[in-house]
Amino acid sequence: MAKVSNTFVPKHTVVENINPMTKILAVFSLGLGTLIFPNFWLGLFVILGLFVVAGLAKLLKEFVKIMFGFGIPITVMLIFIQGCYSPKNRTYIADFGFAKLGLEGSLYALKVVSTLLVFLGTFYIMNKTTYTGKLVAALTNSGLPPKAGYLVLASLNVVPQMQRRMSIIQEAQSARGVETGGGMLARVKAYIPLLGPVVMSSLTDAQERGMTLETRGFGITGVKQTTYVEVEKSGLDKILNMLLILFFVIVLVVTVLMKTNII
Amino acid sequence: MKIELKKMRHVYPTGDEALKGIDLVIEGTDPVAIIGQNGAGKTTIVKHFNGILRPTSGEVLINDENIEKCSTAQWSKEIGYVFQNPDDQLFLETVRKEFEFGPQQIGMSQKEIEDRIGWVAKLVGLEDKLDVHPFDLTSTEKKFCTIGSVIMMNPKALIFDEPTCGQDVEGNIRLRRIIEELHDRGKLCITISHDMKFVVDNFKRVIVMCKGQVLLDGKTEDVFTQTEVLKQSFVTPPPITKVAQGAGLKKTVFTTEAFIKVFEEERKK
Repeated sequence: MAKVSNTFVPKHTVVENINPMTKILAVFSLGLGTLIFPNFWLGLFVILGLFVVAGLAKLLKEFVKIMFGFGIPITVMLIFIQGCYSPKNRTYIADFGFAKLGLEGSLYALKVVSTLLVFLGTFYIMNKTTYTGKLVAALTNSGLPPKAGYLVLASLNVVPQMQRRMSIIQEAQSARGVETGGGMLARVKAYIPLLGPVVMSSLTDAQERGMTLETRGFGITGVKQTTYVEVEKSGLDKILNMLLILFFVIVLVVTVLMKTNII
Repeated sequence: MKIELKKMRHVYPTGDEALKGIDLVIEGTDPVAIIGQNGAGKTTIVKHFNGILRPTSGEVLINDENIEKCSTAQWSKEIGYVFQNPDDQLFLETVRKEFEFGPQQIGMSQKEIEDRIGWVAKLVGLEDKLDVHPFDLTSTEKKFCTIGSVIMMNPKALIFDEPTCGQDVEGNIRLRRIIEELHDRGKLCITISHDMKFVVDNFKRVIVMCKGQVLLDGKTEDVFTQTEVLKQSFVTPPPITKVAQGAGLKKTVFTTEAFIKVFEEERKK
């Protein structure tokens, strides 16, 4: 029986203690920064930085797995498509016989990949180091309506909840003689009786939870709601916030300068 | 039917040791109750009886056969298990189909299924509701629907996880009748319950669990006499038993009638 409600496992690291809002800001500032920057160098540096952050968060192994697992196939695919067939190609750096690899297209592919990886990496680190409750508390504290906050919380929690239910129902069905192991066909056949109860019970669950929330004054109006989960904003957060905003502004200015210089 | 546990331990993937070395033999057809506070390991232990959970170390033997030999689906022919929450178990359109599903899975003949269905429906009180959708049943009826669908499979032993939970008096009386009838037909019933009155009324043998261990195991009267040991497991005997113990009666009583009788006897002395 798993006790955690999402993928978050407390490891008591510096990254974990950072305010969730700072992490969200980091996702957008770093992600959008690399997105608008004209070439892929910035993205590359940001990705290298993310590996360091992942190390600090004691997540390096999983992080490497996900970055390379996603990064390598997508790079190969995009370089092949963009490098060989982009209309921007002027200079050719390799000849495969059936197609020529263009420099411009390849660089464009690298830029797309680096942007994707920055978004993926920042989001992954945020998700892995943030307790969902804290994230939602931080969001509501900074002005998100509690109802929308609950929506975020519920949708982040629904998957592990369904998984848990699924395993209980699986047990219940195997106790009724449904063979859940074995070959592919047997597994598919065993899955059908599971789907009904899972869907039905999540629907009734949702309804019941809604009613429970109402009885606990969730829909009350005209009151400033407080949260049980305390979210602190430390000095480190303030510095990080400044740095992140500064990063984005500098990138923006440099981008504009580079574009106007070139054109 | 014989269920035997030898030095059985179970550790959950989270590292919690739910069962800390259990030696236990359950034999014959006398109904057995398992009691204890939440988290004592009651559900964990019974989930080993049909192989839903496998022991981390030690052995589970069903009729001297190791549980590891077969899958839960195969053990379901021998040992039925009624889950606590009916919504986890029911998924077909009618009560009749629910009753037929398990037996079909284990390859019971259609004739035998038809022979059994009348008896089982009557036993669990759903003979008029065989064509109703299980989700349209009341929560009590749903519970009896799951009980019926497991009895339909004709296992030699049945495990009930908290059948008394949410039941009214009538439900309890029906449960009692089900347990009696199964006993008469030579089936072993193992029941987890928090309802002490239900336990003393229906079970000859009681196993008290506490923190992953068997604290007490024996005849119902003997178990409820050991008030000091019982306190450890936060199990309290039924009120009338406590009154009798407080009044210093020598016999352990479970009903008002028994109390009056024993009280009269002792007063005459």
